[in-house]
Amino acid sequence: MAEIGSFALLLALALSVYSFLAGIIALAFQNQVSQNQVSQNQVSQKVARQAVQPGSHPARRAGFAASSHENSLAALLRQGSERIGETARRAGIATFAAVVLAAVILVVCAFRDDFSIAYILHHSNRDLPGPYKFAVLWSGQEGSLLFWSLLLAAYGFVLRLRYKTDPRLFAYASVVLAGVQIFFLSLLNFAAHPFAIVQGTIPADGNGLNPLLQYPEMVIHPPMLYLGYVGFTVPFAFALGALIMKYPGEKWIHITRRWTMVTWAFLTCGVFLGAHWAYSVLGWGGYWGWDPVENASLMPWLTGTAFLHSVMMQEKRGMLKMWNMWLVFATFWLAILGTFLTRSGIISSVHAFAQSSIGDWFAWFLGITLAVFVFFFFKNKSHLVSEHKLESLVSRESSFLFNNLLFVLLCFTVLWGTWFPKISELVQGNKVTVGAPFYNRVAIPVALLLLILTAIGPLLAWRKTSIESLKRNFLWPVIGAIAIAVVLMITPQSWGSAFGLKPWRDISYFYSLMAIALAVLVTLTVASEFYRGGRVISKHTGQGMFASMVQLTHRNTRRYGGYIVHFGVVVVIIGFAGAAFNQDKEQEMGYGDKMTIGSYTLVCRSYTQDDNPNYGSEWAVVDVYKGGKKIDTMTPVREFYKASRQASTKPDIRSTFKEDLYLVYEGQNEKGQPVIKAHLNALVTWIWMGVWIILGGTVLALVPNAPAPVRIPAPARLERAHAAPVTTGD
Amino acid sequence: MIWLICCGMLAVASLFYVFYLPGKLFLGPEKTRAGYLRERKDAVYENLRDLNFEYKAGKVPDVDYRSLKSSLQDEAATILGEIARLEAKAAAAPRRAQE
Repeated sequence: MAEIGSFALLLALALSVYSFLAGIIALAFQNQVSQNQVSQNQVSQKVARQAVQPGSHPARRAGFAASSHENSLAALLRQGSERIGETARRAGIATFAAVVLAAVILVVCAFRDDFSIAYILHHSNRDLPGPYKFAVLWSGQEGSLLFWSLLLAAYGFVLRLRYKTDPRLFAYASVVLAGVQIFFLSLLNFAAHPFAIVQGTIPADGNGLNPLLQYPEMVIHPPMLYLGYVGFTVPFAFALGALIMKYPGEKWIHITRRWTMVTWAFLTCGVFLGAHWAYSVLGWGGYWGWDPVENASLMPWLTGTAFLHSVMMQEKRGMLKMWNMWLVFATFWLAILGTFLTRSGIISSVHAFAQSSIGDWFAWFLGITLAVFVFFFFKNKSHLVSEHKLESLVSRESSFLFNNLLFVLLCFTVLWGTWFPKISELVQGNKVTVGAPFYNRVAIPVALLLLILTAIGPLLAWRKTSIESLKRNFLWPVIGAIAIAVVLMITPQSWGSAFGLKPWRDISYFYSLMAIALAVLVTLTVASEFYRGGRVISKHTGQGMFASMVQLTHRNTRRYGGYIVHFGVVVVIIGFAGAAFNQDKEQEMGYGDKMTIGSYTLVCRSYTQDDNPNYGSEWAVVDVYKGGKKIDTMTPVREFYKASRQASTKPDIRSTFKEDLYLVYEGQNEKGQPVIKAHLNALVTWIWMGVWIILGGTVLALVPNAPAPVRIPAPARLERAHAAPVTTGD
Repeated sequence: MIWLICCGMLAVASLFYVFYLPGKLFLGPEKTRAGYLRERKDAVYENLRDLNFEYKAGKVPDVDYRSLKSSLQDEAATILGEIARLEAKAAAAPRRAQE
């Protein structure tokens, strides 16, 4: 089996190299033929005119014949290059089949406990449950690189199948994808081979999977994250292709819009699944620790989000073309940089990835991609000139611009903080690590400013917005947000986590109050957008308001799906704001011992141990009382995995809308009694709810628009605009 | 030995798929300046429709609406003018060749 897997990888590399080289040759020929044809057409038209004149010289007639012969030669060359281009496309598709085969073989080997393969030996064991054996594919260095390559090949497969949308642009994008694929397949074949064979005696059992990864979410978190990371290669490939071929117009953005949104949704899902996994498994009571690996996933998400916004300016107004080119490149580059960070061991992280020499490969690849992009950018940047200028600071364009600057500022902060240990080591000779306070100092104000823009942006008009318009659109949402802020300040804290927020007492209270007030502002502006739009439809169709709002959404899914995404972000931010009210307590708990945290009383009913073939465990049984009434029983656990000889803590979490009661089995004291750590985390459920809303909004934004049935007369000044339908736009 | 046969079959199948090209290839239309202008025209019309809708929704005051509409109409007129020039030139080219 391993031999076939190795051959499949080698074949995939050969096919990728062919797809890349043949693609370049075909495009170079086609360009040459097109250029020749343009100049030849001019010449032949002139020659033809002279040759067909009565009594023309025989030499002129011979010239006409020669010119016709050259034309047919050019046609032949063109046909040849097109056929080479088609073989390049097919080689890209065949690469997918070869990589799928290699991945399937690796998974089958994991299920067959084939410990003759070093990767299976190091990341699996006989008693590992089935779903985790499947997850072995992405649990270690070599397998996850194979998985990356598989996803890239899958994206490439879909792209190459859909080439009829715009064959030439897709051919360029296909060549770029093949170039990236060559890198990953070279890594797999020459630096991190997943089918490497164990030398000497083959052990009877494997070393097992890292216990932290033996959690249901870990079966879906890495695929989601990788789908996001890898997916950004597609918009990058189209962008670079469009730049190289000087693609006229913005249609490439229209083509890649869905790719970008789907990829963004996967990355969002991956980032938050990672946060949820950290919250549910690592047992430190939080969901985000600004760890380099977390940062690595956040950076491309930030630039990708900026790109999703600024790209609308290019589509609508032909602006920010250079900026968008850099943003899409930065997103792709940061995704690769993140992988470099986690694989090279250059920066230490709580995430246990193998340190290896593949860091050098990534460094080279990053350097080459940067050089290629910069070369083509400066070569063809005259093609990226904006068609319009910013007319006013108070306009939709400027809100997108500020939004982008804030996202990039935040990304740069995260990048700086992540690399700071390395930079300080190079400058001072010792590693200085920056923690959460550094990131929070920038991230919280930037997030609040972004919330303001989220509220303002959709209500601003393209080009310019007058004071009258601002008053008309913002008066009621602002009054609503201020009213809520006042209520939150003057109410007693005993009402709940978000009440009694006195901003002068603590900066975290100030931030929480601002976050909640701005969240209300965004919610009201989003609601007003739905209401105003629904009212127009209702007036024209006579439908009820709800039906009108549904129709409105269906007629511009991208815009109104986007508003739902904004609402989801608001819900997430409210969840983040709850961190200001978190509490924790630690206590040794014997039989019947009590601990009080917030409004809960915890009583240790018992503690015990268990054993199964995969791991042994010890846990406490804790009864939870509220207002003197028993409401739940919780069982925080500590597990010891036999094959890997590693321990893992699995907290027990009781979630409500208001707060999470989070119990961790920290260990045992000298008397053998459990040490329990209790956290009371406010509003955490809102974060996970918000993510579902974000994903729902994104899915809605991907639904094609319904046609607009209502029509109104438009000015006679524009031909074909006599019956401009009432529709809704971005 | 079996794995050698499997690998050989895999290689042959790949080569056959890549290099056996029956039938005519799909090439699609060539992208031209006129095509690009038509896309721009669609974008400007879309912007006009958005403006109309926002005006009807009560988001844009009368003065803003008139000024924004006028500038969008000017932009559309410029694009339409260039499209018309290009189409006239394209129509004239074969006639000239015949003459």
